[in-house]
Amino acid sequence: MLLTILSLIIDAVSYGMALFIISIGLSIMMGLMRVVNLAHGAFAMIGGYLASYALVNLGAPYLIAALIAVVGTIIISIPFELLLYRRIYRKSDSLTQLLLTIGVTFFIIGVMNFVFGPTVKPVPLPSWLSGPVDIGFRMVPAHRIFVVICGALTALALWVLFDRTDFGVRLRAAVDDSDMAESLGIRTDVLYLLTFALAVGLAAFGGVVGAELLPIEPYYALRYMVIFLVVVSVGGAGSIAGALAASFLLGLADTTGKYFMPEYGDFFFYAAVIAIVFLFPNGLLGRESG
Amino acid sequence: MSLAPARFGMAFSIPLGSELAALVAVGLLGALGYVVFPDDLAFLTRLISITLLVLSLDLVTGYCGVATLGQAALFGVAAYAAGNACIAGLTNPFLLLLVGMLAGVIAGILSGLLIARFRGLQQLVLSIAFGQLVAALANKLTAWTGGSDGLSGITPAPVFGVFDFDLYGHAAYWLSVGALAVIMAALAAFVRSPFSLTCEAIRDDDLRARMIGLAVYPRLVAMYAVSGAVAGVGGALSAITTGVVGLDSVSFERSAEALVMLVLGGAGHLWGALVGAILFQVFEHYVATSNPYNWLVLVGLMLMAIVIFAPGGLMRGVDLARRRRARRRG
Amino acid sequence: MNGLSGLLLAAIAFSMLGAGAFADTIKVGVIGPMSGPFALYGQNFKMGIDAWVAEHGSKVAGHDVEFVYRDEGTPNPAHSKALAQELLVKDKVDYLAGAYFTPDAMAIAPLLAEAKTPLVVMNAATSSITTKSPYIVRTSFTMWQNAVPAAKAAKAAGAKKVAIAVSDYGPGIDAEEAFKKTFEGEGGSIVESIRMPLSTTDFSPIMQRIKDSGADMIFTFLPSGPPTLGFVKAYIDNGLKVQGVKLISTGDVVPDPDLAAIGDAGVGILSTYHYSVAHDSPENKAFLAQIAKDGGKVGEVTMTAVAAYDGARLIYKMIEATDGKRDPDKAIAALKGTQWMSPRGPVSIDPETRHIRQNVYLRKVENVDGKLINKEIETYKDQPDWGLEKH
Repeated sequence: MLLTILSLIIDAVSYGMALFIISIGLSIMMGLMRVVNLAHGAFAMIGGYLASYALVNLGAPYLIAALIAVVGTIIISIPFELLLYRRIYRKSDSLTQLLLTIGVTFFIIGVMNFVFGPTVKPVPLPSWLSGPVDIGFRMVPAHRIFVVICGALTALALWVLFDRTDFGVRLRAAVDDSDMAESLGIRTDVLYLLTFALAVGLAAFGGVVGAELLPIEPYYALRYMVIFLVVVSVGGAGSIAGALAASFLLGLADTTGKYFMPEYGDFFFYAAVIAIVFLFPNGLLGRESG
Repeated sequence: MSLAPARFGMAFSIPLGSELAALVAVGLLGALGYVVFPDDLAFLTRLISITLLVLSLDLVTGYCGVATLGQAALFGVAAYAAGNACIAGLTNPFLLLLVGMLAGVIAGILSGLLIARFRGLQQLVLSIAFGQLVAALANKLTAWTGGSDGLSGITPAPVFGVFDFDLYGHAAYWLSVGALAVIMAALAAFVRSPFSLTCEAIRDDDLRARMIGLAVYPRLVAMYAVSGAVAGVGGALSAITTGVVGLDSVSFERSAEALVMLVLGGAGHLWGALVGAILFQVFEHYVATSNPYNWLVLVGLMLMAIVIFAPGGLMRGVDLARRRRARRRG
Repeated sequence: MNGLSGLLLAAIAFSMLGAGAFADTIKVGVIGPMSGPFALYGQNFKMGIDAWVAEHGSKVAGHDVEFVYRDEGTPNPAHSKALAQELLVKDKVDYLAGAYFTPDAMAIAPLLAEAKTPLVVMNAATSSITTKSPYIVRTSFTMWQNAVPAAKAAKAAGAKKVAIAVSDYGPGIDAEEAFKKTFEGEGGSIVESIRMPLSTTDFSPIMQRIKDSGADMIFTFLPSGPPTLGFVKAYIDNGLKVQGVKLISTGDVVPDPDLAAIGDAGVGILSTYHYSVAHDSPENKAFLAQIAKDGGKVGEVTMTAVAAYDGARLIYKMIEATDGKRDPDKAIAALKGTQWMSPRGPVSIDPETRHIRQNVYLRKVENVDGKLINKEIETYKDQPDWGLEKH
């Protein structure tokens, strides 16, 4: 029994970490720019596609492919930021944001299908990441351990970025009071652009390392959008710790649900989401949106 | 250009202008459809039930400002309810529409209780969660829904005992046109009611509405009940004219599609919802047949363009044109 | 002037009369997913039909045959009914064919009696479909048809404790029922029966549960696409394969186009199916050659192409039997009991159920000449639709 619990926790943590890496970017965007970016999953998907192309068609090694994916996705996202997202920052009208970002999502799905076709695109793992690893009491897929490590490093790096760097200080100032920050000379438009790039880059990275759990195909952007939204909503916008907690919690709910009552999996997941939103309207660790 | 209330020679005037106009306009549109596309009546019938879904969405999103991606749940639940009622022996089409309406109201109230409680991201997430919950239930409760195989064997009795639901679809079409006309007329009256106006106030400024003493939550739930009724008729129509109810009736795609159509026509206008739904579906019928992914690109571009350049949709364009003309005259 | 235009009019009228007498085109309306996530299968419909027409010409008993295609898209019964109605009323088709999804086939069935039109189902696999109208005949398969032999094969391979894991929807539940009934009937025991939500992407906890059940073999069914790849990979990555737990499924889980994505780790996976691209017969070779000649990619061929190919054969037979006239009873009667050699093997139309009886092959994934294929290692002859037999 204990082994089963440990086993489930391992599965939950690895699934949760994949969710975290992708969702933290969305949480940051929500926290700073107050934008509910439904197209976030679409950018993760683009990252996955670029990595797949680099690995399969260009024969690049895995880590290089991941780098290409992240940088490539950021470059692709810049026009969206300049032309579209810029216009809806800090506008509290959620309907407008919903419509614009859904539009972006549909657009990206269609284009990706046009360029890459409708089938699942594999992101082949290098030999040192594939296959099972024997950790004593059970076999764990090697890439899951990799995802956990990536997630932990990402969380750590972000914490350092926000807490210990100049950029982080300015970012937090702008989140707290953007007008004041501007009057103090902080270039909020540059800040927003950099944050957008960071969010998109994280999404792309998550799309690449999570490709085993969330396979890359054109409808990826819509299929998993709900999960990312739920993570941000439960964890509270703009909170790293909250996003981590939410990812882990949802990973655990999903994993235990699948283990004990798989046929009710979906039902309980969404019922749990509804319950959590009612119990923690501002998320587990988030703050009241101002 | 507002229609003056029609006076009936009584001590008080019964403002029936816009309601009559609605009845007549929909009737004319129906006749137009019948004459121009006589072999496509099944497509037009389906178009009408989806249009009712879009109208119901307009009530909560356009008039109340609720951001929801879970509206299809109301439509689908009513479709399944009407389908089951028909299979159980209640085959009168009008009673089936009533069953759908009632089921829609119940689903609407449940939905409203959950979704109208919060705003912003929470509201959106709750709406999606509710929709997906209903979809998961629909998949599981195969005794009531047929699961992924669909609920089949829905054979309604002829309309008025005379007009059969046959291959050519005349009865189905005119029943749908009639339902749409009646509902448009009823809604035309409804959106001028004080209740509806207070909902618009809530949409425009939640805080101020509260400050003048409007109870926001109960009003939104009540609006959801009305919305559920409209969606319910649409769902019931879909069930009895198709003979099968599939999981697509409660799908996320159905909800998203309805929102797109609403935005195209202009949320917050009844005629916006109607026009948007009709134009979108007709366009889709003739354009999207080549490749739905390309269609998605077009829809995406359209959404982006509308949000940036024309946030009120087509109806706002019409409104602006009218105002310009009025200014030139006056 | 008047005389000339009068002559012209007469000439036109005469030519129209003449044309009317000879241009007798039989139209067949094919409803299939021509675009969207299932576009591959709709295109397979077309590949199969085109191959038949290329081999046998587009004329039957003196009548021209024309195939008209409409896009089914995703499962949407209202949409499919509208398509069928349009084909029947507007295009006045004489035959309907295709129907990839069950709810869509169900929506079309009630129209057939009034329209006096037969429907050749080329995919939708729920057993009860053929019972919805006497004018329906099916050339594809049913879940029971493929799952019953899987249970028999599992027994023969020495499995004693099987864990069943299927996707939680119609076809999955059919597969589970069929396998369970047969395997238990042969003395085996089902130690675990899991229904997985369709949205599942993380199969690790499922694998954990299977491992805890002590099963020596897993039977699974999932719809082809992201779920099947995910399941197979989780099976391999969670160490079940190296620990000796075997995997058997219906062929939908290891479709030929996906084998490359599964990779060498998939070697050894068993499946039962009515068609494999690697089927070694002269008819199959000719069929695949014809597809390649028409410009199709052999790597994208699935069982839907064969179903469409055989469906086209049946349509031609019906046209012959009725001499191009609209007589659905005669047409269907002509098909009952008919036998032929399909690219998949010997087949016949069951006179009772109007469903195709066929061999179901036990296949193993093997690496042959650097390519992964489903190699047929055993044949279960002349399998009927067990779903209709047992109920």
